[in-house]
Amino acid sequence: MVALAGVAALALGGLVAAWPGRLGIGLAAQAVGRALLGASGAAVLVGGDAVGAPFRSDIAPAVGLDALSGFFLLVLAITAVPALVFARPYLGVGPAPRAVGSLTAAFLLALTGLLAARDVTTFLAFWELMTLVPAAAIIAARRDAPVRSAVFAYLAITHLGGAGVWIALLALADHGAIGDPAALAQAGGGAQTLVAVAALVGFGTKAGLVPLHSWLPRAHPVAPAHLSALMSGVMIKVALYGLIRVEFEWLGATPRWLGITLLAVGLLSALGGVLWALVQHDLKRLLAFHSIENVGIIALGLGASLLFASAGAREFAAIAFGAALLHVANHAIFKALLFMGAGAFERAVGALELDRLGGLLRRMPWTGGAFLVGSMAIAGLPPLNGFASEWLTLQSLLHLALDAPVGVALAGAVALAGLAATAALALLCFVKVVGLVLLGAPRRPETAAAVEAPAGMRAGMVALAALCVVIGLVPGLLVPTLAGLAPGASDEVLARHAGLDVPGTGSLPALGLAVALLVLTAALIRVRGSRRAAPAPTWACGQPVTPALNWTSAGFTKPLRLVLEAVLRPRRELEVVEQGGLVQSVTYASEVPSLADAVLYEPAIRTGLRGAAFARRLQTGNVRTYALYLLALVLGLLALVRTGALG
Amino acid sequence: MSSVAAGALQVTGVALAPLLPGAIQSAKARLQGRRGASPLQPYRVLGRLWRKSTVDPEGTGIVYRAAPALAGACLLLAIALVPLGGRSGDWSLGNDALVLVGLLALARFAVTAAAWDTSNGFALMGAARDLTLAVFGEALLLLALLVAALPARSTDLVAMTGAAAGTGIWGEPAHWCGALAFALVVLVETGRQPVDNPDTHLELTMIHEGPLLEYAGRDLAYLHWVAAARHWVILTLAAQLFLPHPLGFAGGVATLAGGLVALCAALAVTETFQAKMRILRVPSLLTIGSLVALVGVGSWVAGGGS
Repeated sequence: MVALAGVAALALGGLVAAWPGRLGIGLAAQAVGRALLGASGAAVLVGGDAVGAPFRSDIAPAVGLDALSGFFLLVLAITAVPALVFARPYLGVGPAPRAVGSLTAAFLLALTGLLAARDVTTFLAFWELMTLVPAAAIIAARRDAPVRSAVFAYLAITHLGGAGVWIALLALADHGAIGDPAALAQAGGGAQTLVAVAALVGFGTKAGLVPLHSWLPRAHPVAPAHLSALMSGVMIKVALYGLIRVEFEWLGATPRWLGITLLAVGLLSALGGVLWALVQHDLKRLLAFHSIENVGIIALGLGASLLFASAGAREFAAIAFGAALLHVANHAIFKALLFMGAGAFERAVGALELDRLGGLLRRMPWTGGAFLVGSMAIAGLPPLNGFASEWLTLQSLLHLALDAPVGVALAGAVALAGLAATAALALLCFVKVVGLVLLGAPRRPETAAAVEAPAGMRAGMVALAALCVVIGLVPGLLVPTLAGLAPGASDEVLARHAGLDVPGTGSLPALGLAVALLVLTAALIRVRGSRRAAPAPTWACGQPVTPALNWTSAGFTKPLRLVLEAVLRPRRELEVVEQGGLVQSVTYASEVPSLADAVLYEPAIRTGLRGAAFARRLQTGNVRTYALYLLALVLGLLALVRTGALG
Repeated sequence: MSSVAAGALQVTGVALAPLLPGAIQSAKARLQGRRGASPLQPYRVLGRLWRKSTVDPEGTGIVYRAAPALAGACLLLAIALVPLGGRSGDWSLGNDALVLVGLLALARFAVTAAAWDTSNGFALMGAARDLTLAVFGEALLLLALLVAALPARSTDLVAMTGAAAGTGIWGEPAHWCGALAFALVVLVETGRQPVDNPDTHLELTMIHEGPLLEYAGRDLAYLHWVAAARHWVILTLAAQLFLPHPLGFAGGVATLAGGLVALCAALAVTETFQAKMRILRVPSLLTIGSLVALVGVGSWVAGGGS
């Protein structure tokens, strides 16, 4: 009932937002609808009883909710409500506010429909809508050539990869296996392998897993900030929802190769995402690459869960599953926060090039403070929420390495080391982002003139920052419920405390650690006493510190680029124009091309274009040629019938 | 009762920590034929800094001001997490190894973000190097901790130090691999040669010292103590996870003291005979350490995880 009211309010809000001058009311109605849907999702998640229709394999439309859908609806709500509050002042001064405002409602409805779909046609219909609506919203807001090409790449790659979703779901429906794991188990290993691989490709593309991620860093940065937040925060998670449904619930088996594949893909995504994020110069593009990293971390948790399940370790299978779901929620929260912060900085400064910002913490204390909290959370620092989920994922991988078989144990150990390196790389990246954006002196006059964002935008960001802190303090209230969602988990896998009490670990008493940190820091500040001396200039070997002397993004990552030269393959061009022994001008350009683009996409595109050029010879545009084709077809068919090959 | 004693002993670690770098410096000076400063020199430095006033660079804000206290709080908690003699005080903070790694990362974040706040080029140079080496160092640290967690089947440091006690564990090849990997962890986390040179006064070669350049007075005293506390945490862990020691509190504490002396002596010898490496070579060294630890994991699991 509440859910239906939520859907109605959301749809109404979408319509009202399209009305001239009614954007605020429309977005408010959407937020109310979203909150109602989130409440119903939470009720289903906590109550544990499914409502509406169960999953079915026929094609009659059916909708319903169960605990897993309820969890994703809740994640959608806690991201979307602050995003809608943020959108009101944000869209007010942007291009095409009405179109973007009502398309936001359509996007949210498509996501809701996908989560509530209980049959294959509804699922696929909303799946396609979820892909198409943000593309329309991006085009409505910006139409320049690079944006159009980014949207084209987004649609092309997600549709080509998305074919896997169609294959997997239609094959499942064909075997009557949607919602019934026993059916596919009967169908045998071949069908299971087909479904597993097709779903991994299809949902993996949409989730942004390496090497099918190439659309994500193109499409996410060009969307309006609140839509970037929803795309990175929720849309790619909904793809993971589909992946969980197929690989965990309907496959009817937990093959070990699938777990190892998920670990490998997750590790590749986590390391690849953060490495290429490090070398970006645009804040939103950097954040988009970090989404790939975080989806990789989630995939590591899911892969560990599958491997535990195939080894019969039900308890840790549930814990790893809970770790993955907790990271789903955490990443949705801090990534939405960071994208909104980027939107606020863009409004205030007019640019998002990292080397042009600086000193914004002092000029925009609310936005800057929230952004700082989000950065620490995504870097996996205690006592925030990112640490809780990364701690759980690390523990899952570590326990994977404790037992035979040797292959699985070594895979777990390698994934453990890889995740540790990922966390350290994320720390490097976000120290850089915090330093370049928030700290130090402004690097440009327009940055120095930045003013704080309006109240609505601040409220959305501060609410999400508060959530980062709260989940970081009491992860133990959430994780037992999430671990209970794992297939085959018993009701009470973990005890419910504020902290995390996991068997085989020293436990994570998050609340106690946070309080101790706060008290000790405050005590140390108090013991240190107040400052008496006047500030002095920073030491730069006697020179005045001017913006030209400031460190850049490229400078800070230089040691890492040198160490990883073989992987990153940076390109540099240095051009010095000399005249009569005097240097007239120096131009310098450097970039780090994406490895996946170079070794995977460009050859694929070249082959595709060559094939198209060949196929074009068939299409002359001459009517007589087409008549000849028709004649040849008819004759060919007649000949086949005559020889008995047809009918 | 013994948990109170263990807790009290952990608290003395706060005071004893500066003795470790002091002892290493003093021993190194003897080995190099100099008389050198006394092992108590770090305390004199801390006392002198405590009486000086702090000068803030222009344009710095809350991140710069809070960083020394936050880093200090992280290391205080880290000291409380590491059991001594196989026991830990009842702090209700758990004794998890991965929480310890998280606290060290938070301290690193505080100091390197403060470097950005000063805009000092030398500070940022050190910060960038520190964070780059941490990428490889953290992977190595986690794998070394994994090897230590294998016999205990837990990341609880009390269980881990208990499982590493006695002589039976030394029959496992995995333990030898872990000890080798952890030796590299000691070098990189304490910032000693051949990874970093704590004695340097040349800004261009600094790693851990770089971000401290702008600090003065009590802030600098906190950060000097943080560096000493890192020695304490890492060396007490190394002595109790990968040096022979008996099970039991009194014997454990006695051997721990001997282990710390041995580790300090070993570091002094290394620093005397080993020059600083090129920074870009350090990652390969750490990766080799990670591979050794992986071999250890493989040999343990292949051996049936006895």
